[in-house]
Amino acid sequence: MKKKTIGYYWRIYRKIIAQDIKSKMSYRADFFISMIGMIATNVAGAIGFWLIFQNFPSVKGWNYYEMIFFYGFSLISATPAQCLFDNNWSLRIQVYSGDFIKYCFRPMNLFFYFMSEVFDIKGLGQLGFGIAAVAYAWVKLQLPFHVYSIALLLVAVLSASLFVIALLNLAASACFWIVNSFFVLSLCNTLRDYAKYPVTIFGPVLRVVFTFIIPIAFMAYYPSQIILRPESVSTIVWFTPVLGVAFFYLSYKVWMKGAMAYNGTGS
Amino acid sequence: MWRKYFSLTRAGILDSLQFRLSLIFTVVGNLLYLLLIYYLWRAIFASVDSPVINGMTFSDTMVYLVFASALFNFMEMWIVWTVGREIQEGKIVIDLLRPMNYLTYIFFRGFGEVVVKFLLTFLPTAIVVFFVSDGAIPVGTNLIYFAISVCFSLLINYYINFFVATICMHTESIWGINIMKEVIVGILSGATVPLAFFPQAFRSIAMVLPFQTIINSPLQLLLHPEYTAVQCLQILGLQLIWLVVLRLLAEWFFRVSLKKITVNGG
Repeated sequence: MKKKTIGYYWRIYRKIIAQDIKSKMSYRADFFISMIGMIATNVAGAIGFWLIFQNFPSVKGWNYYEMIFFYGFSLISATPAQCLFDNNWSLRIQVYSGDFIKYCFRPMNLFFYFMSEVFDIKGLGQLGFGIAAVAYAWVKLQLPFHVYSIALLLVAVLSASLFVIALLNLAASACFWIVNSFFVLSLCNTLRDYAKYPVTIFGPVLRVVFTFIIPIAFMAYYPSQIILRPESVSTIVWFTPVLGVAFFYLSYKVWMKGAMAYNGTGS
Repeated sequence: MWRKYFSLTRAGILDSLQFRLSLIFTVVGNLLYLLLIYYLWRAIFASVDSPVINGMTFSDTMVYLVFASALFNFMEMWIVWTVGREIQEGKIVIDLLRPMNYLTYIFFRGFGEVVVKFLLTFLPTAIVVFFVSDGAIPVGTNLIYFAISVCFSLLINYYINFFVATICMHTESIWGINIMKEVIVGILSGATVPLAFFPQAFRSIAMVLPFQTIINSPLQLLLHPEYTAVQCLQILGLQLIWLVVLRLLAEWFFRVSLKKITVNGG
């Protein structure tokens, strides 16, 4: 069989996504309400910080604007997972019902085809709010603004987003082995919500857990430090891109292992 | 007359006991959540010198937030999803034919799960907090006021949810409607950040809205044994007013919307 190139996958991807967006656009009101709902949750998160900082000056030495920066960063880094890998949320149902078997018969990468079927547009609202939050904090903190710092931010965000995607993949793939696996996804989602806080507040044990086992610290706190306080960054943080790629690759392998062992439901 | 409600409740209890594993994970998930907010607020309080902020100590805040999340968890009946799906699938047509008010029917269908969650998640959490916090929860008549208040909260929360669920008759978007409700109720009820920490203007707005009566009212009654009987009855009275108003609103809105309903197929 001919080796499939990136160009081939890109062409296929555009076609599948176009179908998904068309079908979603036929429920226009739903799209707008979901978009507003998505932004509303992000605004609520920001209001939470605002309320806390009405009474308290800082959290573990981080001020209000730095916390807003972490928050915005965590929203941006969650966007690729939200937009491009959202089908993970329905994996469990499809595996259970047997519909998943259809993906196994396509002459292309199974993981790619499964993920390409859904593009969650409302994630873009989250991206917009995240960028606004980071920009606001950036101005207020008077951080230097030049090509180098923007490039650094991009690399940091992209590496962080790999961690978010990988965690989602791993949590979703639990359904290949556990029957009622919704709690795994739900638990990971709850934990991910805490990526916006400095991991140092959670005490030494959870800090280790959140760095090496469920690496939510890499989703916002560690990579943000490269921009906020580059002088006090620990060495491991500079390896975020490499670790992100490795973690993503691991999640891909686990996901595929589960998918390859899938026998269908027999119907 | 009560038999039909009792049967629905019983079915709900048996139904939710089927998913014991998921109940265990709910409890584990809650404990983890509590651990995280414990560390978070400890760090927040560590940033100030004074132990009391706006009349709240660290332990007050923790008890408030733990109870807020425990109350929220046991009251969650997924009404917006249940009713929203019934509308989309057209099942509502059958349930409307039942010899029972739809509003009451949906309540009792979810009530069994509430009973189970109350016994298996709320009570254990409350007992653990009582012993761990070592005296942060005063014991006296406040417990009776609290118990009555929680019953009111349950109904107020239900009517708000039912009202929001009715919106699904006008739009297809369950997810979007539900998430907006969660955001509004989460903030204005005081469940995410206690109302005591709100700036004055913001708190005044929250106090005239019904959402604070879900979480804030029962917790005020629980944590303030020094309140006089009059003060307590005022809080309960306000809850009762909202309960009646919201029930009437929910019924009216449902009746009006029903005329416009379009059911897919069926």
